[in-house]
Parts: sequence; C-alpha cells; structure tokens
Amino acid sequence: MSGVSKRYGDLTALDGVSMELQENRIHGLLGRNGAGKTTVMQILTGQGFETAGTVEVFGQHPYENANVLNRVCFIKESQRYPDNFKVKHAMRAAQLLHASWDDGFARELIADFGLPADRSIKKLSRGMLSIVGVIIGLASRAPLTFFDEPYLGLDAVARQMFYDRLLADYSEHPRTVVLSTHLIDEVSDLIEHVVLIDKGRVLIDEDADALRSRAVTVTGPVAAVESFVAGRTQLHREQLGGFLRVTVSGVPERPMVGGLEFEPVSLQQLVVRTTQTNGAPVGAGNGGVR
Amino acid sequence: MRRVLDVARIQTVNWPWVLAWPVGLLALILVFNIVLFGAIGDAAPPDGRTTGALMSIYFVMLVVHLQTITQMFPFALGMGVTRRTFYAGTALLVTAQAAVYGVVLAALRLVESGTGGWGVGVRFFGLPFLVQSNVFAQWLAYTVPFLAVSAIGVFMGVVFKRWGQPGVYMVSLGSAVVLGGLAVLITWQRWWPAVGSFFTSQSTLVLLTVYPLLIALVLGGAGWLAIRRATP
Repeated sequence: MSGVSKRYGDLTALDGVSMELQENRIHGLLGRNGAGKTTVMQILTGQGFETAGTVEVFGQHPYENANVLNRVCFIKESQRYPDNFKVKHAMRAAQLLHASWDDGFARELIADFGLPADRSIKKLSRGMLSIVGVIIGLASRAPLTFFDEPYLGLDAVARQMFYDRLLADYSEHPRTVVLSTHLIDEVSDLIEHVVLIDKGRVLIDEDADALRSRAVTVTGPVAAVESFVAGRTQLHREQLGGFLRVTVSGVPERPMVGGLEFEPVSLQQLVVRTTQTNGAPVGAGNGGVR
Repeated sequence: MRRVLDVARIQTVNWPWVLAWPVGLLALILVFNIVLFGAIGDAAPPDGRTTGALMSIYFVMLVVHLQTITQMFPFALGMGVTRRTFYAGTALLVTAQAAVYGVVLAALRLVESGTGGWGVGVRFFGLPFLVQSNVFAQWLAYTVPFLAVSAIGVFMGVVFKRWGQPGVYMVSLGSAVVLGGLAVLITWQRWWPAVGSFFTSQSTLVLLTVYPLLIALVLGGAGWLAIRRATP
C-alpha cells in the first residue's frame, strides 16, 4: 500500500501509510491501541475503504476482488461467529471457504488446544473463542493470513503454543503472515519483518534482524557517552549521577571506546522508545478504531 | 458460482438449527392448537376454529435472516468472501428455503383439508384468505411471502451493519412517518373506501404474491446497494 489515508469524519486513522508486505514472511504489525493497525488490515482485506492512496494485494485492489480474497484469511481480535454454530461448524465453514484448508491439521490443533468441538460457540470462554480463531487462521493455510491481536483471553502457555505452531507450520508451508500485537517481546523471535505504526503513520518498516542490530544502548561516563552519541538519533536517555545511558539508532559498528558499555536493545524497547520519540503522550491508548 | 454455493452451504452447516428449527417450532404450535381446539370441543363454533399461529414461521424467517447479516456476514468476510458472493449465496439460500417451506406448508394444508382440520375442525394452514384454487397457486401463496419477510430481515441487518443503531432508528422512524403520513393523507382526502375497494378488487393470490415479490425485490436491491460499503 502506498500513501494510504483513512479519515472518519475529523479523525485521521491513517495518514499517508506506505508499506510493502514481503511474500512468505511473518510480519509483526506493531503499535499502540488506536495506532491504525486494524484499519490497515481492514483495507488490505477489502473490508474497509481507504480515503486516499493506492492499495494492491497480489497485484490487484482487494475490494470485492474474489481473485485476491480467495487467498486471504483475516482473524480479528474479537472475531464474530454465528451464535448457533458449534466449534465443529465453524471449522467446517472455514474448510468450505479455504481451498488450502488442512483438516487433519485442524483436528490436531483442536486436540492440542483442548477445544471442545461439540460445544456451542456461545458457551465458549473468551480464551477458547480466541483459540477457534487461531486454529482457523493456522489450518486455513491461506497464502495471506492476518491475525489481529488473536490472543485475547489466552494464557501464556496457549499463546506460546500458538507461536510454536505458527512457526512450525510456516516453515513447512511458507506463506505471508501478518500478526498484529502488543506483546512484542513474546513474538520477537517469530517475526521477520517489523512494521510499527503510530498515530496513523509508519515509523518503522524494516527487517527485524537489521532493526535489532541497528540500535544499541550505550552506558558510561556522561562526557564519553555524550561525545559518542553526538549527531546520532537518540531514542531514549536517562542519567544517574555521573553516568549516562542512551539508546541510539543508526550505529553500524560498536567501537571500543574506553569506559563505554554497549547492550543490545530488545525489539520491545526499540518500539517503545521509537513510539515515545514520536511525541505520543504516554498513558492509556485512545482505543482502537473499529 | 461454486463459491456462491459454498456460502449457502456455510449458512447451513448446522442445518438442523437453520432449517428444521422453524418447522419444528411450527409443528409444536400446531400440536398445541390441535390439543387446544380438541379440548374446548364445541365451545368454539366451526367458523371460529381458525388460528393465525402460522404467522410465527414467517416471523422466525425474518429474525433468522436478520442474523444472517449481523452474524454470518462478518464471519464470511473474514474468511475471504466478497460481499457480492455473500449476498448472492444468501439470496440463493433464502429462495431455496422459501420454496421448500412453501412445499411443506402446501402439503400440510392438503393434510389439513383431508383430515377435516386434523380431526378437530381447526384451520391452521387453510386460512380463509390463504386458500387458493390449485396446488401451484397455493404453493406460491405460501412461498412468496417468505421471500418478502426474509428480505425485510436481511435489509434491517444490512442497515444495522452499514449505519449502526442510528441507521435502524432512522429507517424505523422513516417508515413510521411515511406510513403515518399516508394514513393521514388518506383520511384527510376521504380515500379509505377507495383503498378498501382496491384491496377487495384484487385476488388474494395477487395480494399474496405480486406485492410481497415487489417488497422482496425493492428491499433486496436496496440491501445490495447498502452492503457494498458496509464494514463487517
């Protein structure tokens, strides 16, 4: 998508967003609540409408385009299922709509997650409902799969199982996955490409490894650190007595400067610091737009 | 076309609930009526042994297809179905369902007249204004109103998805204003006798098929225009 904007009346949800998904990679779509992650995914799946800009998925505009959408599966944060469905009905329906559905895999996942196939969707707990979405998204094997914060109500064990299963199945059946999440630390080993959105703008759109190696936290005596970081992009700084600790980006090499200590920056820290430098008031997010 | 069929099929993956439940409900109400009229015996005169409970299955269809839009539509779009395919699949399902229910009702109406009103002289299916002279006309008289009520349900669902609760209020309020305005206009112009004779001059078959079909087509078309920009 290129130069995509989305306005709801006075509210600008997306402001000139340009990004490109890489084929057969796992993307982390990161950002705070209300940053525009869901809006991006809605537009890419033809469910929402861009106000301006160019959108192409598999080379065509996705809106009402069966060629594109036949290859897409989009699991939303609170995905709605028909009330009268049982779990097995949802699976059967998803199977009918996805050409590459793997029913054996779906059964295996249902057993592993301990999901009761005969239970009515209405009677599932919040976490179990999320599992239904996760299983459909995985078993669909759709060439382009979106997971929009699919983990609501899932405990840490179930979330880890989701990440493991996603990674294992993805390496056997490569496909393009977009995972939007706040739980950045949890997925940092999973995602290969990072797109960070804040206030409707793209702040980072980069390979995850390159990104990690580019930023570094440097600690040392104030004067030494100051001279090192001069002229570089500072993401964060904190001073304690005579010591200064600064996170900088754009550091290709780590010189052996006396008294300076370098630490790698976690993806989560990088995202948090980058978002803070974008001038967001730190506090509760302003809620999702959906 | 295959995808349209698939969309119709996902709506019936739990067919006992979708297709059999309305008929089951109707059967229950029928049994209840038979028992009731059997129990009160001759207390109800022969021309008073008529019940309007048949309407319940039409109301059920309206609600079922309202939920088709509020619940099935968001699910199907997440699974990569286009709005066009979804709407076509829904239209297909509604038409097939109406046709089958029409056959069921027409058959039950034959049973009813053959058994002297289920043995207790009750008119459950053969309501005076519903009875037609031949089986095909009878089937039409049962089937077409199903299309109309389903279209109303679908249309209200689409309005809700597209414009939310305010949209539903506006449409309800708007139709109340239009109908109320018409009533006022007719009263003011003293047109009621003319309106009455218009309806009595039409055959019940026309009233039960042509006008419901018109409602189904108009609301079906309006629903299509609205769903094209609806977000699930």
